[in-house]
Amino acid sequence: MDVLDQIGAVREGKMSRRAFTRSLAAAGVGMATVPFSGRKAMAAPEDQATYFTWGGYDIPELFGEYQAKNGELPNFSIFGGSEEALTKMRGGFVVDVSHPCNQAVPRWTATGLFQSADMSRLSHAGDIIPELTQLEGNADGDNLWMVPFDWGQTSITYRTDLVEIEGEESWDILWDEKYAGRLGSLGAGADAWWVGAIKAGVDFDNIDTPEAFEKIAAVMREQRPHIRVYTDDTTTLEQALASGEMVAAMTWNSSATLLRAEGHPVRFAQPKEGALTWVCGLMIHKDAPNLDRAYDVIDSMLSVDTGKFMINDYGYGHSNAKSFDEFDEETLVGLGLSKNPADILEAGHFQKPQTQEFESKMNALFEQIKAGF
Amino acid sequence: MTNTNVTLNDAAVGAPPVRRRGKFAGMLQRSETLRGFFLLSPTLVVMTIGIVIPFAILITMSLWTAIGFGFDTTLTTANYETALEQPVYGALMHRSLVISGWATVATVLLSYPMAYYVAFHVHKNKMMWIVLMTLPFWTSYLLRVFAWKVVLGYEGVINSGLLWAGLIDAPLEFLLYSQQAVVITLAHSWVAFAILPIYVSLEKIDRSLLEAATDLGDGPVARFFRITLPLSMPGVIAASFLIFIPTTGDYITPALLGGPDGMMIGNLIQLQFGPVNNWPMGASLAIGLMLYISAIGLVFLALTKVFKERMA
Repeated sequence: MDVLDQIGAVREGKMSRRAFTRSLAAAGVGMATVPFSGRKAMAAPEDQATYFTWGGYDIPELFGEYQAKNGELPNFSIFGGSEEALTKMRGGFVVDVSHPCNQAVPRWTATGLFQSADMSRLSHAGDIIPELTQLEGNADGDNLWMVPFDWGQTSITYRTDLVEIEGEESWDILWDEKYAGRLGSLGAGADAWWVGAIKAGVDFDNIDTPEAFEKIAAVMREQRPHIRVYTDDTTTLEQALASGEMVAAMTWNSSATLLRAEGHPVRFAQPKEGALTWVCGLMIHKDAPNLDRAYDVIDSMLSVDTGKFMINDYGYGHSNAKSFDEFDEETLVGLGLSKNPADILEAGHFQKPQTQEFESKMNALFEQIKAGF
Repeated sequence: MTNTNVTLNDAAVGAPPVRRRGKFAGMLQRSETLRGFFLLSPTLVVMTIGIVIPFAILITMSLWTAIGFGFDTTLTTANYETALEQPVYGALMHRSLVISGWATVATVLLSYPMAYYVAFHVHKNKMMWIVLMTLPFWTSYLLRVFAWKVVLGYEGVINSGLLWAGLIDAPLEFLLYSQQAVVITLAHSWVAFAILPIYVSLEKIDRSLLEAATDLGDGPVARFFRITLPLSMPGVIAASFLIFIPTTGDYITPALLGGPDGMMIGNLIQLQFGPVNNWPMGASLAIGLMLYISAIGLVFLALTKVFKERMA
């Protein structure tokens, strides 16, 4: 009763109804039992913590400790921008851990959707670089609202063979008419608008003033016709840079590091006006259904193994001081990093928390500019 | 058999011979309207929960205003005024209608010959042909849209092919991240929804009418325009409706393939509920879109009526 035989029988019209029903039943039983076969006796996925994060952080390399302890990876849910993530959680999406950046912390805590992290429950808490925890609005007594995890820059990744640099690297590359239609940008205002502020020469302390809005909007409008695509999907930008569809794009550290690892001639610029710098970290939802495992997620991400991967493969800074001991000074400089985060963060323009009104107004205006108005 | 008999006997002994009816059952028996509503009730419940209530929420929310994380619940038409005042909303609405209009035209033009072929020239296994035509639509919508990104891309199939053939020196950049890309993708994605209604109306045409036309001296072209096309118009109109309405609010195609100039109203509405964080504005835009589409639908229906009267 092999498969070929049955097909032959059908063709010759000899297949009996009973035989046909039997094969159907066999197929049905087979399908129904697939989920039960070959599964190891482990905790079911629904018992694992849910981690709501940016694309690219949903990989096993960051969760070695978690996997060793709990048998499986946490569940992942992905967002493209942190504002989108916040709206989704405000709409009732409950997760265990999410991944905002320093600029968003006071606004995120103000929603009342999060609980501060008890640092005594994290085994790697003592290794966290202290200055990364001292962020505006982050302390809640001894607890932290956001446990710092990664830090880095928003800058320009450009093709060294396709972009001519005269003098110093500058944000002007992304405003250069010569490359019109071959430039890319991150789509979220949380990056692009702040870069506009750097380009327009607006101090971050005054970013929420009508004059600043006017100046930045003018700069963004000037840039818009040159941009091929605004996207929060870094893969799109990376592929476009790799193929030469784009010659330069606004990206985070990881895009440049990944492209270089694949052998593409790219550089992560250190613009003379200064890059945009930030610290991102992990926040726990107030109704986290798996609180213990939420702490496991954070602890695993703070581990040295995770840090090594973050630094080496993504080119981001890590919050665990010990992660940097695995690299020599030269490698770190090559990646645009330093054991002392302040060197990098203060050399650029560090993002500052703003009000929700600013955020909504800025996003509304930026989206209009992106649409061509 | 024996068992059934016993039960029947028991019932006959135990219960009085007259069947008692509830008050409700009695009313149901008498009133035909009530019976109709009773039959409809499962659907009505689903409609109320799934459409009427959310729609009421949408309307209410569109009259609120957003402040920070919350809402100011005093009713005002401010959002609608903003939508009318600021050029971006009107322009994107207009662009959506133009893009989906072109997509509708392209889809109908593409599907008509296919439906025509199956209806008139395929005589065996018609059903298989129909199924084969819908085969590409068994994959997910998102995947199909993404596939077009690969086809139209800078190093995509079309560009590589043209480069290889020596027809172009550099990849064509307008293929991806443009309104054309959105039109092409929508036309492909929705083709099955056009083939089926057009096929049905072509299939229904009385073949003797075509013979009569030939007998009276019409050539194939004249016959097509005088008999086949007018008689298949109901299918064409149904197909246009089926495609135009959902594509106007399409979100994923312009998001993936539109680029900055290919953005449509659906993307703008999503942004209001996402990063811009202005749900009331999003709600009023959604209602605006509905009104716009209804208006166009009515115009379309009126035209159809005129057309039908002329035909008769």
